[in-house]
Parts: sequence; structure tokens; C-alpha cells
Amino acid sequence: MTARRRTTALIGDDNTVVVAGKRLTWRTLHKLPQLPSPAAVLVDNGADALAALRHHAVHGTELLVATESRVDNRMREELGESGFAVVLPDGEVTPAKLKRVEESGRAWLLTSGSTGRPKRIGHTLETLTTVTGDQPPRIWLLPYAPGTYAWWQVVTLSLTHADQGLVVIEPHELDDWPTIAAEHGVTAASGTPTFWRQAIYRDADGVGAVPLEQITLGGEPVDQAILDQLREIFPKARISWIYASSEVGASIVVHDGKAGFPRTWLDRTPDPDRPVLAVDGEELVIRSPHHGAGLVGAVHTGDRVEYDGDRVLITGRLDTDEINVGGSKVSAGVVRNVLMGHPGVSWARVFARKAPLVGRMVAAEVVPNPALGPITHADLVSWCSSRLPDYGVPRRIKFLDEIPRKETLKSDV
Amino acid sequence: MSFVARGRVRELMGEVMTAQGRTLPGDDAADLRAIGFRSLDFSELALRVEDELGVELNFDAPGLRRITTVGDVLDFIDQLQAA
Repeated sequence: MTARRRTTALIGDDNTVVVAGKRLTWRTLHKLPQLPSPAAVLVDNGADALAALRHHAVHGTELLVATESRVDNRMREELGESGFAVVLPDGEVTPAKLKRVEESGRAWLLTSGSTGRPKRIGHTLETLTTVTGDQPPRIWLLPYAPGTYAWWQVVTLSLTHADQGLVVIEPHELDDWPTIAAEHGVTAASGTPTFWRQAIYRDADGVGAVPLEQITLGGEPVDQAILDQLREIFPKARISWIYASSEVGASIVVHDGKAGFPRTWLDRTPDPDRPVLAVDGEELVIRSPHHGAGLVGAVHTGDRVEYDGDRVLITGRLDTDEINVGGSKVSAGVVRNVLMGHPGVSWARVFARKAPLVGRMVAAEVVPNPALGPITHADLVSWCSSRLPDYGVPRRIKFLDEIPRKETLKSDV
Repeated sequence: MSFVARGRVRELMGEVMTAQGRTLPGDDAADLRAIGFRSLDFSELALRVEDELGVELNFDAPGLRRITTVGDVLDFIDQLQAA
């Protein structure tokens, strides 16, 4: 393969990368010399994904990387028809059906598909590298599935900054990540609220044994309860939550330990380096310098917001968050936050259930906190009744044994 | 199709009332408004019955009717299950 221009300086090429217990660096990762371009590299482990990314960064190739399970046969066909050679985990390559000129340096991401089939969003290493300036030396946990926006955020931070090591957590290691993290001295970790809740639910002491200085949450609405739990375990750590997506990039970063963001951040004077946040009706609208290709201008995010005093809370997806109970409207996200605020609840999902007379009723699934003894349906109804209007109180509550999780580390909330 | 007996529906109705901090009287003639059994409570009762049956009740089948007493609720749920 011919040498191509670098897209971003690989300042972190000698940073530590721990994969499958092996201590390597970006530079000493195995190489993928025969990788075509454009290529859709489907992986079944984190090391191959990092090797594909480094190859892309060094040679400026056009790359889409994703876990094999996220890309079904139909999507593989579509990728081939769009000019991508599809590379499978065993190295087998299906040549592109469409021959075209590569877009040098283009990195493609797949959206999470929460609003339908995943879409391809075009980025570059520059638009994906949103952390700038000197960073304190850190070793980052990497629990995200390869190819997701959050994965790109962590790996580009490590590849383009000095002293930002990585410890890759494979899917089968997720239940035991605190042990692995403690063993390798992880000091920073980014995960969805579901990821953090599951970890605390399973083994709060184990989580507390990891010497975390930076905790980041993103990918789902962040509620006050999980921020408070993390603060209790890590009183000195910086706890941040980030609103980011493949479409608009990392657009909101909050470090004050509170859910939501200050209302004063809305409609600020435009600044080319800072996203502009606005609300249209109940929808969050973002004009971002970190947007994907072709998404210039204001992007309607599809996320619903609600005001709480001087804060703006992101409560969930617009099309599923609002529950209409006999003409009275309530936010599933708000109800969920109330449930999550109960000390006996580790996780909750709130949804609408079809019901006679009122059309829809609020229902919930709950995972109790095993450390605090049993809780009952009546306990939760009573808790919610004193904090919500009567139509917002979940009338049917199902108790689950464990927190459901998807490959994206999100739950269906 | 399985059937939730009238006595069991009454128990479920009692559970709905208890969850709301109220008590279901033993008299089927008790007025719903007087005992505070509202639309939301009726809807919750229907969901509880559906959960026991494992299927959705078909509320379109019976014609609209006036439901004012505890007995009316029990009759109506019976009728829905038979539909």
C-alpha cells in the first residue's frame, strides 16, 4: 500500500494499550498491512479494532469499524454497494461491488440505531478528536463497543495525546472490569449510566477499589441518583457527563456533579469553537463544530428536554419520552428519575402501557438494590405519589433480577 | 382462554385500592365515586387482570355502559373476558 498523508499527529503512539491482559503500545499493536480502502472492518475483539484505527490514522485510509454483530447481512450488502470492501474477523475480504475513489482520511461511524436502522455518519480524526490541550496523565478504561462514537472519543484521546493509556475491556470481561481496572491502575473511565449502575449493583466495593480520578458518563440521560452514588464512592474524582452523538459530536460537557446543564447555556452568542444549544418546543437543537459530514447547521436531536429551575434536563427521546395518560402528559424520563431517586432502586425503565379509559398508563421495570433489603410495589407507589402527579405514578411495576444491558452498554430507557 | 374469577377480580380491585391508601368495601353496591375508585384505578385493575390472563382485554367488544358501583366493575370485567 502506498504511503498517504497523516490526518492527525499520533502523539500517543507510545501510550500503553492493554488488550487481553497483554501490555502493548499503539505502535506495537499487530499490523494490518493488507487492509483495503475504503474498508468496513468488522471485528470480534478490541485489539483488531485498535489496529484498524491505527492503520487508518497512519495511512489516511477510508474506514468504518464496527463489531461484527452490529452489521447484519443486509447492511454488509449495502456497504459493498457503497464501495466498501467488507473485512470479517477471520480476515476474509469481500471486495466492494462499487469501485470508487476513496475519501482519504474519512472515518465512518454507525449511529446507535435507536431511531431505526443504523445510519452512516462521516467524520475525520480531527472532528472525532474533541479533547484538546494538555491532559493530566491517565490510564483510560475502554468498555465501549468498537466503532461507536464513545469508543472513538476514548481511542482518539489516547492516540493523539501523550500519557493517555488504554485498558480494553472485551464484552466477556464486562462483569469483571473493576478487577481488571484495578490491576492495571486505571485512573479514568467512561461509561453509560447503565454501565455504572450495573457495576455498583454487582460490586460497589470492587468499583471503589479502582483509583479513579476521572469518571465520565454519556450515551443515555444522566440522572442525579447515579451522579450522587458515584460521588459517594469517589469523593475526590472529577465526575463529568457528556452529551454526544455521531451526528453532533460531543456538544455538552458538565463537570459540576449535577444532572442537566445550566439554562444560561441556551442561546449563547455563537462562537466557532463552541456548540450552540437551543430548544425548539421541547426538542434539543444543536449547532456543533464537531458535527458529522453534511450536518452543517442546526441539528434537531430528537431528544426531549425539560426545565427544572435553572437547569435543563435531557429526559429521553422525543418520540418515546412523553406518555399521554388520559390527556395529561408526563415524561418517562422524569418518572424514571423519581424511581431512581429511591434508595432501594438500582435501575428503572419507564414506559407507556396501553390501557382502557385513559389510553396509556405509566408502567415500570425496576431492579432493587440488594444491599438495602426488599422493596415492594406499594413502597414505590407511595414514593412516587408524593413526588409526581397521580397520572405519573407507575401503576404496574415489574421487578427484575438484574439490569438489562445491550452491546452499546445502554439499556432501553 | 383462561378466566379470572369474579372473586379474584374483587381481590385485585382491593389491591388497587390498598396501593392508593384506600379500602374496598365488601358491599357490591358501594358507589365508586364515594369510595374514590377513579378512571386510573379502573385502568390499573384492567391491566392487573390482563397480566393474570396473559392477554389483552378487548374493550371494543361490549357497548358503552354506565359503571357506578363496585358490582358494575366486576360485571364489566366478567363481560370483557367473555367477549
